[in-house]
Amino acid sequence: MAWLKGRHLSIIAKKEFRGLLNERTILLAVLLQLFIALFSSFLMVGLTSMYDPSSLSKYSHYRYSVAYTGNDSQLLTYLQTSPDFRVYRMDLSTAVAALGQRKLAAVIYMPDTRPDALDPVKITLYTVQNDLQSAIVDVKLKDIFLKFEQTLRQIREGRLDVQPLPLQIPASTGGGDFYEFVYGLLIPLLVFMPAIISSALVIDLITEEYQHETLETLISTPITFPEMVWGKVLACGLLVPIQAGTWLVLLMVNGIAIQNSGLILLQVTVSSLILIMIGTLVALHYRERTAAQFIFSTGLVVVILLALAVPSNPLNLLTRLAVGTAGAEQWLVLGVVMAIIIALGYVTQKYAERIAKDHMTG
Amino acid sequence: MSTPTDIATIARWEVKKSFSMMSRDVLPLAIILFVLLVLVTGFTAQTGLHLQDGMYRVGVDDPQVAQLIASDARFSVYQLDASTLNADRNAFDVIIVRGQGSSLGTDKANAALKTLSRDYGKYVNSIYNTETDLFAAYPLWIDSESVKSELSFLSTQSGQYISAAPSRVAPVPEGIVQNIPTPSPTLSITEDQLRAQLVQSNAQNTQISRYTDVLTSSSGMGNFKTPSQLSPPLPFDSIILVFIFIFPLYFTSQFFMMSIMNERIERKGEILLSTPVKASSIIIGKALPYFIGMLVICTGLTLYLRAPLLILLPLIPIIFFFLANALLIGMLSRSFKELSFISIFFSTVATSYLFFPSIFANVHVISLISPLTLIVLTIQGSAWTVTDYLYSTSLFWLTGAVLFYIAAKNFKDERLFSEKPLATRVREFLSEILPPKYPFTSLFLLSGFSIPFVFMVQMMCLVLFFNLPMPYSLVFLLLFAALIEEFAKGIGIYTIFSRDAAFFTWKNLVIASGATAFGFLVAEKLLLFITIAQISDSVFGSILFLSLGSLWLPLMLHFAGVLIVATCLKLGGKRWFVPGLTIAMVVHCLYNLYFILGWLG
Repeated sequence: MAWLKGRHLSIIAKKEFRGLLNERTILLAVLLQLFIALFSSFLMVGLTSMYDPSSLSKYSHYRYSVAYTGNDSQLLTYLQTSPDFRVYRMDLSTAVAALGQRKLAAVIYMPDTRPDALDPVKITLYTVQNDLQSAIVDVKLKDIFLKFEQTLRQIREGRLDVQPLPLQIPASTGGGDFYEFVYGLLIPLLVFMPAIISSALVIDLITEEYQHETLETLISTPITFPEMVWGKVLACGLLVPIQAGTWLVLLMVNGIAIQNSGLILLQVTVSSLILIMIGTLVALHYRERTAAQFIFSTGLVVVILLALAVPSNPLNLLTRLAVGTAGAEQWLVLGVVMAIIIALGYVTQKYAERIAKDHMTG
Repeated sequence: MSTPTDIATIARWEVKKSFSMMSRDVLPLAIILFVLLVLVTGFTAQTGLHLQDGMYRVGVDDPQVAQLIASDARFSVYQLDASTLNADRNAFDVIIVRGQGSSLGTDKANAALKTLSRDYGKYVNSIYNTETDLFAAYPLWIDSESVKSELSFLSTQSGQYISAAPSRVAPVPEGIVQNIPTPSPTLSITEDQLRAQLVQSNAQNTQISRYTDVLTSSSGMGNFKTPSQLSPPLPFDSIILVFIFIFPLYFTSQFFMMSIMNERIERKGEILLSTPVKASSIIIGKALPYFIGMLVICTGLTLYLRAPLLILLPLIPIIFFFLANALLIGMLSRSFKELSFISIFFSTVATSYLFFPSIFANVHVISLISPLTLIVLTIQGSAWTVTDYLYSTSLFWLTGAVLFYIAAKNFKDERLFSEKPLATRVREFLSEILPPKYPFTSLFLLSGFSIPFVFMVQMMCLVLFFNLPMPYSLVFLLLFAALIEEFAKGIGIYTIFSRDAAFFTWKNLVIASGATAFGFLVAEKLLLFITIAQISDSVFGSILFLSLGSLWLPLMLHFAGVLIVATCLKLGGKRWFVPGLTIAMVVHCLYNLYFILGWLG
């Protein structure tokens, strides 16, 4: 096996970095990150205010006017004692007309069904169509309806055959609404995105040499073909921690606390090498961007889906590291990933050598 | 040869070329990968997605409870006795001792509690669903009725509530009160049907089907819900739509992009260009197979999902828009890296534009600026009108058409095979549609045609800033809206200036500014009257499109803005473009403030 010269690798890597900087495409990538970060944080604010209106101060002391129509019930008492609502006893037609003119936030109709009747209690809830306020009122009313359901259920308890295992779960005190979305989806996806970008980039870099016919010039220098390939892999590999690190910083600036950021960068960088090397192999095989990118992106979906199906996959590890529940198993995962990288690296080296030999002889 | 024959010939070539390229040795591997994909999807569906495994630590003293919780992989469950749990309290997000849960109080613990209570609710429902007396387990049913607001929705969107301040006496509606029939006290469906629905909705709440719900929502059960089913629609549902419909489109447009790029690299385009075939025919011919391909993919997906074919209607402008952008990106980028990054950038921005509004599909009319919302609505079975369609798709049609026009004008040797930096190339592309012979007419047209882009970017800002607390959203919107407009107006002047600075004598400068301002105003009014009247009535809209009233005032404003930029260019050279824009933006903002908030007066 021909030994790779470090100096040659760094020449190639530097050349690629210069290319990226010259074209200012890297600026686009950074801009893109900022854009997504901005959008996600705005999205968070929007969604939180939609689902947990009390998180926005301006909603917290607002009492919504609702009309209660029909027959009396325990529900009326619950509504009247709730700090969120101001209840008016009204007649249904008037109430609905007032709702249409937005003088009310909701109208509730209660039929004449006894709490212990055989039939269910069917109430009718009128709200304004397609409206942000209705969504908020729905959320607040839901709590009261649940309380009323519990009361009715207790009255009818004797008619149940089986009782579920009792478990008292305290109501969570605000916050944490989008914790799962942020840590269990956003963070692994965003942090892993640079790995995907880099592996697509390596295809561009290699196929470009073929399609722009600049390969001959490169090979005529003392740099060997495998060195050129590894230089490109190195350049793309180095981009990953830079970009992923930017993500982490952006997320933290947005007030999302992330634990173990060093270990996260390590895991991402190492596992990205798998994708980069798959990209390299595909690019070396096809030597043409359209075909290589097509095969690679299809393969990528297969690889990522397969990885996700396995417990303790690198992506899951990113989530666990970010929330601080990763244990010693992370080193095992790292080891497995390393083993795959060494195997892929060996194949890449052999393949590059063979191409170089074919080139010399043919 | 006639134009249609030319187009057909080029379309055939394009298909043949991509097939010969594909069949080399891509096809066998592609088939293998496709089979693998199906297998892996099946495998993953069976094992579940292990992305959020072990996020939370829960300590439990009861083995039965431990088993119950451990069925959700998000929890790492530790079964220990009560005293150990209490002693080691901080190691767990939640502990459950003798059936009583308590949390650590952190955000993470709160999230764990929420997941836990959702899981427990599911478990309880699974028990209740089997009860013989269903109405003892589910004694309360809610029938949701929506009332159409008689006031415009816009009054509430800025966060102000129009509902009168709560008072002691019940509100009295104005006008004639229509009689509302008393709702029937009984459910119109049988107990068995309800049970089936409950079982189904309980089973649905899994990790993957949470996202697929929207596609298979069976609204056959009417509006009856138990209180726990009463919640606003999950916004993440539309994520799945983005992936299902938008991703293949993006993927296919990549091929188009590459085909254009390859023409340039391999210089095959030159041969084509030397024939008497018109540039527009070449472009249409090359785009046609991809357009048809994308349409076929979408139709296939729609049929597969058994969704109404009506959803193709909003998809067509999206396809058109994607192709126009792909064409221009393929023509603009100098290398593969640049192509990759620009196309990733474009797809992210386009996807956000499509996706973010649509998550508010059932909540707010602002969601209609995305055609995706129409798809969500169609799948839900809600109707939309022709106006809705125009409203959400017209910007896609218009911008697509303008981009195609720019591309057609530039589809020639010296543009396709030049190696200049991106910004210069963009300027050259614009320069091409500003013929020196008719500088003023073309400035008028350019600034007119920039309107759909301006609206699109401003809509994006509207979505972006909509979620900020009230004063900030207004301030940001004010600044950005002004900047975007001034930029759009200034770009034509800048292009002509960098081509021929001597052209701008003072007289020409004034005429050019006038033409630009006039073009901007005319197009703005036209588009507004067709589509955006709804949004333009709101506080937000009044900033974006303030000027429906008198016409000469906005004309003066536009004129002043362009004049400032042009004067800066003339006096200071190209370096003064950005400072000129800034000054124009400030002037624009002051004008807006004066009219909206009545400042200065």
